[in-house]
Amino acid sequence: MVKFLRYLQYEVFLLPILIIYTLFTIVPLIRSFELSLTDFNGYSTDYHFVGLKNYIKLFSDDAIVSGILFTLTFALCSTALITVMAIPLAILLDQNFFTKHIHRALFFFPSIPSGLLLAFIWGFILSPVASGVFNTILREVFGLGAQPWLSDPLLAKLSTIIVAVWAQTGWHAVLYLAFLQSIPKDYFEAAAIDGASRLQQIRYITLPLLAPAMTVSVMLLLTGGLKVFEIPFALTKGGPGFETHTITQVIVLRGISETQFGLASAMSVVFFLIVLVIACFQVTMMQKREERIQ
Amino acid sequence: MRKTGFLLLILIVAVSLALSACGNASDGGKQSGAGDQASGESGKQEKVKLSILAWNNETEMKPVMDGFMKKYPNISFDFQFAPPVKDYIAKLQTMLLSDSAPDIFIIAAENRNEVIDSGHALDLTDYPFMDVMLDSNKPMLSKNGRTYAFTNNGWVGGWFYNKDLFAKAGITKLPTTWDEFVEVCLKLKEAGITPLYDNMQDLTQIHSSLYGNMTLSKDPNFDEKIFSGEKTFADGWLEVFKLWKKDMIDKKIITPDMIGLTGDQIESEFTLGNVAMFFGGPWSIAKLSATPNLNFSMIPVPGPVPGETYYVGAPGVGFAVNSKTKHKEEALKFIEYLSTQEGLELFYQGTGSIMTAKGFEAKVHPSMQQAYEEGLMKGKIYLPMVSWPRHQEALRNQFVIVTQDMAVGKITPEEAVAAIDKKLKEMENK
Repeated sequence: MVKFLRYLQYEVFLLPILIIYTLFTIVPLIRSFELSLTDFNGYSTDYHFVGLKNYIKLFSDDAIVSGILFTLTFALCSTALITVMAIPLAILLDQNFFTKHIHRALFFFPSIPSGLLLAFIWGFILSPVASGVFNTILREVFGLGAQPWLSDPLLAKLSTIIVAVWAQTGWHAVLYLAFLQSIPKDYFEAAAIDGASRLQQIRYITLPLLAPAMTVSVMLLLTGGLKVFEIPFALTKGGPGFETHTITQVIVLRGISETQFGLASAMSVVFFLIVLVIACFQVTMMQKREERIQ
Repeated sequence: MRKTGFLLLILIVAVSLALSACGNASDGGKQSGAGDQASGESGKQEKVKLSILAWNNETEMKPVMDGFMKKYPNISFDFQFAPPVKDYIAKLQTMLLSDSAPDIFIIAAENRNEVIDSGHALDLTDYPFMDVMLDSNKPMLSKNGRTYAFTNNGWVGGWFYNKDLFAKAGITKLPTTWDEFVEVCLKLKEAGITPLYDNMQDLTQIHSSLYGNMTLSKDPNFDEKIFSGEKTFADGWLEVFKLWKKDMIDKKIITPDMIGLTGDQIESEFTLGNVAMFFGGPWSIAKLSATPNLNFSMIPVPGPVPGETYYVGAPGVGFAVNSKTKHKEEALKFIEYLSTQEGLELFYQGTGSIMTAKGFEAKVHPSMQQAYEEGLMKGKIYLPMVSWPRHQEALRNQFVIVTQDMAVGKITPEEAVAAIDKKLKEMENK
């Protein structure tokens, strides 16, 4: 009995967060699933059960197909680029140099303001008119003509990915840095005595020992990338056409603007499953990789 | 025993915390209710706090709210603002669904069907103050002959042009036909001046003017026929898109890079003298007038059909009373106040809107005088969202998508109208 009560004591501490989590995550999820089977329009509470109609309609929707393609491209490219840049950056920031604290703060800074704010500022920098900041630099320094950074299908995609990489690399570098600092210095000293070069040390000591950090960082980046909304929305509003519409944007468009809440809910449910599968797959794969390395 | 007591204490704290978090809103309500009662007993009239949600901001609404509070000292306001259009609609929708909607809110062309159909707005048709509202303002805020919101203003927009840039390009005569308009644009281009920026993140306004000129001038009920299935978007819009593509896109007057421009950026570019024309309305006047050395006026986009120039414009958004309000009488008093001479004058002072109420002399900026007289007062205005009876937002989004796709050369005008017709069909069968 005493043991049970002690056990219960710990559970009680979890209660507040459990209530919040249930209220704000589980309940809406269940409600979304419920609504995805109805013709709810977002205004009238008098709605009807329509079975799987919304799920069938979903896969013939041009916008959602285009949204899935861009979202996947965005998530994969930004994850790859950020990971490739954050690890060397973390190694650099780990060195003992005079301005290291200022540098760490500088690289970390872009992750503090909201993505929406950053994207609006970038919108002015990448403005397609000749007076846009970037286009002015191109003209004055390189003598090049104005580029449609946010209007050309390919350039618009590239611009959103680059802004996202710029905004998040510092944060992930700091994550890697934290893990780097937990690697005992003895390993490097031993390797140095054995004649390992700096590159070999990175290849055979740093990278394998960073594997757990990579699992966490890549999972955060992938799920974050799949759920992305603010940056493409503020930069391009999803244009030109459907080119930079993300899945989340299509859900908002169909649900709120077009009052097809049922369809939008069906999209959310399918989207939730896609993210779940990808995240589970990635974490299992990378944990296996960690075990192999260790 | 002590442990059990401790455990119980934690449980109580946790549960009460959760409950207090959930019950916040209702507690607040009770408290203010009690306060009302107390003051009702002591004072002559019950103190009431009216809640309003509008897309005019607080500075714009302040004069009229202050005037009202002076007249009815027992009524005060809890004012909330959400910027137009999407943010406002989403906010109101959430509030309506969660039964926390304010006593007074505005109905716009974009959400009128949903709000009226779901019975969220009080029927205002038979109140005496509705007589002040212009009859031509009523259809947008009505359903089956009953009107659900009151508006005392309307708006009309056209193309602001920079007189100095026109002179620099050697343009002496303002365009009165479509061909002359295209010629003016080309002349500006030759002089190294960007002729115009059209906001392609919204329905483009050249399209609306051309549709008015080419289609509505022949059949004013064309939109109704599209929605009754008698006509299609292809019937009414194909020629408009073709002409726009031929003269604006192919002649590079409108270029794909404009897709990346927001309305604010366009306005700034105009005030900087970087572009000769842009679409604007009463809301742009304050900023343009405040720019030193900016000589500007307004012209419409003339279409190929002579003498049938259409401006872009619509009735102003309407103030509606929540059908579930606890302060119906007070809310109606405010709507009534908006219709009085004093209310109209204060509303004009705050918002600078073009007032269109009966018996009230409107003041418009000299640059917009022609648009006001020939567009708004003669009913030569068109805005698809007002004219389309259903699915405005879905269709507007589709229009934006196809316009952008046409501008980058991804689809043809034929494919564009087909996509819009497909969207309408999809929405009708949803």
